Order: sequence, then C-alpha cells, then structure tokens
Amino acid sequence: MIFFTQKINPSEIKVYRVGLVLGFFVLIVLPLMVQSNDYILQVFTHALLLASLALAWNFLGVSGSISLGHAAFFGVGAYTSALLSLDQALSPWFTIPVAGLLATGLGLIMGLICLRLRGAYFALATLAFVEVPRVITDNWDALTRGSLGLVGISGLPTLRLGDWYVDFGSSITASYYLVFVYSFALLGLVAFVFRSNMGLAFQAIREEEIAAEAVGIQTNRYRLFCLLISAFFTGISGACYAHLVRYIEPSLVYGLHFSAIPMIFAVCGGRFTILGPALAAIVLYPVDQFIFHPLLPAGHEFLYGAILVLAVLFIPDGFLGRRQNA
Amino acid sequence: MWTTIFISGISLGSFYVLVALGFALIFGVTRNFNLAHGDLLVLAGYSAYWLWKAWAFPFVFTFPFAILVILLVSLGLQRLFSRLRDPIELNSIVLSFGVAILIQNSMLFFFSGNYRLIRVPILSQGIRISGFYVSYSQLTLLLLSLVTIGTLYMLMYRTYLGKALRATIQDKDAAALAGINVAAMGTLSFCIGAVLIGLAGPLYGCIHYLYPSTGHEATLLAITITIFAGVGRLNGILLAGWILGLAESLTVVLCGASWREMVSAVLLLTLLAFRPHGLLGKGEG
Repeated sequence: MIFFTQKINPSEIKVYRVGLVLGFFVLIVLPLMVQSNDYILQVFTHALLLASLALAWNFLGVSGSISLGHAAFFGVGAYTSALLSLDQALSPWFTIPVAGLLATGLGLIMGLICLRLRGAYFALATLAFVEVPRVITDNWDALTRGSLGLVGISGLPTLRLGDWYVDFGSSITASYYLVFVYSFALLGLVAFVFRSNMGLAFQAIREEEIAAEAVGIQTNRYRLFCLLISAFFTGISGACYAHLVRYIEPSLVYGLHFSAIPMIFAVCGGRFTILGPALAAIVLYPVDQFIFHPLLPAGHEFLYGAILVLAVLFIPDGFLGRRQNA
Repeated sequence: MWTTIFISGISLGSFYVLVALGFALIFGVTRNFNLAHGDLLVLAGYSAYWLWKAWAFPFVFTFPFAILVILLVSLGLQRLFSRLRDPIELNSIVLSFGVAILIQNSMLFFFSGNYRLIRVPILSQGIRISGFYVSYSQLTLLLLSLVTIGTLYMLMYRTYLGKALRATIQDKDAAALAGINVAAMGTLSFCIGAVLIGLAGPLYGCIHYLYPSTGHEATLLAITITIFAGVGRLNGILLAGWILGLAESLTVVLCGASWREMVSAVLLLTLLAFRPHGLLGKGEG
C-alpha cells in the first residue's frame, strides 16, 4: 500500500508547471483571440464555472469520499441567490455569498446524516439526499414558484469604483474574466490547502482511515470540514450560474447533470490531484459543446458517460493521477 | 379510502419488488451496485414501446423482446463490471453511473425526450372484487410480480443452483473453496436480473410515462428496498417493497402526488443513518 506520498518524477512536475502557465495565459488572452465570437466565450465561461464546480467537489473527493449529490448544494445556491435578488431586490454581490452560506448549512445537515457512512454507502446516501431539497423546492410554490422555475433573474451587476466601472451583466468578456478569477482563486485555495498539513491529513484519511485516526488525525472533523468547504463553493458556483444563465428550474439545477458533471471531471482529471478536475472541465466541456453537440444534438452527453466508464476502467486515478504500474 | 390505498400500495409495492430483486441479487452475488438498473428498466420499456408502436405487436409479445434486449445489454455490462479493481463497491457505483448516462443519452437519441406511454385499453378497466374496485393494471402488476417472485424463490431455495447462488452471497471465498464457480454465479445473477427487468419494463411503460431520465427514480427505489431488506436477504425484499409501496400511496393521498418522489429518498437516508445494515438484516453495528 502506498502511504501519503505520490511518486511523481521531477520531469513530470516540470511538464505540469509549463502546462499550467501556458493554459493560464491562453485563457487570459482567449477573449482577445475570439473577439467577435460570443458563443465561444460563453462556452469557455461555462467551462470555467464547471471547473470551479469540479474543484469544489474535489475538496471532498480528495479525502476519498465520492459524492453523487452535489446538485443539492448547487441548486440551493442557485435558488437562494436568484430568489433573494428577485424578491428582495438585493445585489448579487450580497446574495451570492449568502447562497454559499445556505449551501454550507445544507452541507452540515448532509454531514450529520451521511458522514458516518463510508465509501459506497456514503455515495448512495448523497444520491438520495438530492431528492429532498429538489422535491421541497418543487412543491413550495409560494416561495420558489415551484416547477415553473424562475425567469428574469438579474444578471451580474456593474462594479463601480469612482469613474471606472465594469458591467458584468451585459459584457460577456467581463463575466468571463470574473468566472476566470473565481476559478483560479479556488484553484489557488485548493493548492494551498492540499499542500498544507491539512492536505496530508486528507491523504492519510483516504489511504487508511484507521491508521490516520491512530496517528491522531480527527478524521470525522476533517471529513466534515471538507464537506462544508465543498458545499460552500458549490453553492457559490450555483449562484453564479443562476446570474449568468438567468433562468433556473428545479429539474435543471437539482438535476443529475450537476451531480454527475463535477464527479466526472474529477475522476477523469485525477481525483487526488490539484489541477486534474479543473483541467478536465476546461478540456472536456468545450469538446462536448464544439464537437459533440453539433454532431449529436440529442444525446451529446453520451461523451461524458463514455469518458467516465473508460476512466474508471483504465485510468482510475485520472489523467494526472499517479500511474498504476510506475 | 383506506382499502384503495392498501390495494394500490400493495400492487405498486409488488412491482417495486420485481424491479428491486435483480438489483439485490446482482449486489448480493457480485458486490456491484448497478446504478444503471433503473435505466435498464426504462430501456426495456422503450423496446416494448417501439415494438408495440412501430410494428403494432400485441403487448404480450413485447415481453420476450424486452427480455432479449436487456439480456444482451446486461451481459455487456457484466463484462465491464468484471474488470473493476478494488474497492469494487465504490468503483461499481462510479462505473454504473457512467453507464446510466450512456443509456440515458442513447435513449434520448433514439426515442427523443418526449413522454411515451404504452396504452393497453384493457389495463385501464377494472373489476369489483367484493365491493372494492381493482383495476386490471393493478391486478396484473400484483399477479405478475407475485408469480415471478415465487418462481425466483423456488429457484433460490429449492434447486441446487439456488443453493450455489445463496452460498456465493453469503461468502464468496468459502463458496469458491466448495467448488462453486463464483464468476459463473456472477454472470447468472446478471442474467436473472435482466429477465426480471425485461418483465418489469413493458409494465412500467404502461403505468408510467417513459422519458429518458426517469430511470433514476427506479434506481433509487431498488437501492432503498435492497438496503431495507439487508444485503443478500431475498425474503425481506417482499416486505420492504410492500412497505415502500404503502408509504408512497399514503403520501400521495395525504400530501399530494408531487411529494411521492421524496418517500424512497427519505426512507433510504433514515435507514442509512440508523441501520446501515438493513432493518431486517442482522446489524453489524
């Protein structure tokens, strides 16, 4: 059994670093390269948002738990922010963090119910857990307008600093950069936490929980912490989604899609890596949208299913994960 | 009113048992959670729908075709499952989740997202049995489920093959030591599961609208019933299915149809939180 350390040889690390810097710059200059094409930019905005979702998911994933229920946090985040800004006319700058906090609250409930479970049973419990907020949202017509969904959600607001302002609502380039900054900030946070002592604790928990307990890691506390952080950022991503797309309905934001997508990206990119989930999102989502969607308008998500199956069978640790026979 | 709830609950519950049996058997024998189970059910429904609609087959003759389709898909699926590495249970969940997405999108491609229903006129009629109205569809669900469950029970408890299956469920290694071909038992469990789904699918298409993503609900039902009964305890499954069916019809009457979808989820969460080894199973802690 391999404890704690991932054996990656130095040349591989160099390749990662070059790739990271290169990807960073490509994504920065992307709006300049595709200046006249809003569609391409929209797809990449969405890809970055999904990357943040995958990174948030992996906060939990790195400690060895697989969640099939992150749509619960995503949906609650989306609905909280959308309803607060629609009904109370509050600014999204305020409602988005509130959405994150409410998702964290839901994470606490999920933690109390599910964290006693391990492995497969945890995954099954999270799969069932999504149904609860979904059905409640669907039925609480007075508050959520039920299965009709919410239309006309305000876009991201204008940021003003004296004479200087950025209109995130109508400029696609501006919203692209906002999501870009959010995703890379989250990537930075993930890198920081995973490389700290806490990251070592997460690794220890996933490799051998009893041994981790024996060396004094309070595994339950760490696992709850992972879940809460994960829920918080998933809620934030959900809220951003609501203000970007400006239309939500229960079957969409609580749907299997948003539970599956972060898991697929994380598993394909490498569950135990920092960059893997985000990389998979930024590569796979545009591939899906630019290549598979025109080919197969109905059923283009076939790609995700196929990729997940192939990844589990042949590269269980993901593209960037440690090699099995190395 | 209570009789109506009881009748619809029991007939629905028996149908759920029919759906869950295959899932439970596959899990017991191979330790694979097949999250594509519900999607296979919908696929069976769609195959029956296709034969019935495009080729005007009588409804009864769609069953063999549905069974054949699911048998082929299941055998392919079993090949995939058999390649999984440890931890098998968790990896099987991830793998079958991917397969579920594959099946859903294939169905979306071939049958579009429109709601489909197999309309069999006779099933919507009913009879009065000693004053209580029972529709033929309820009666069919109940009878077909009970007959199938009875047959499976006979297979499991009255034949040598069933003994081997049960031995594999109890202890794979000991079964292998006793000369049982454990891999063959795994394949067999997938085949039995496929036959059960092939029987249930066309019926599902009669009582429930078919659309590509609806299988998720059936998967959740199968998981709930399996966990409720406890791993590898086939005789608890009938009771678990009935309780779930009754709970659902009660919820529909008391709270409205839209709350029904939450029943199995809440039941599963409660079970996992308090009795993860099943209500009827012997608790290991």
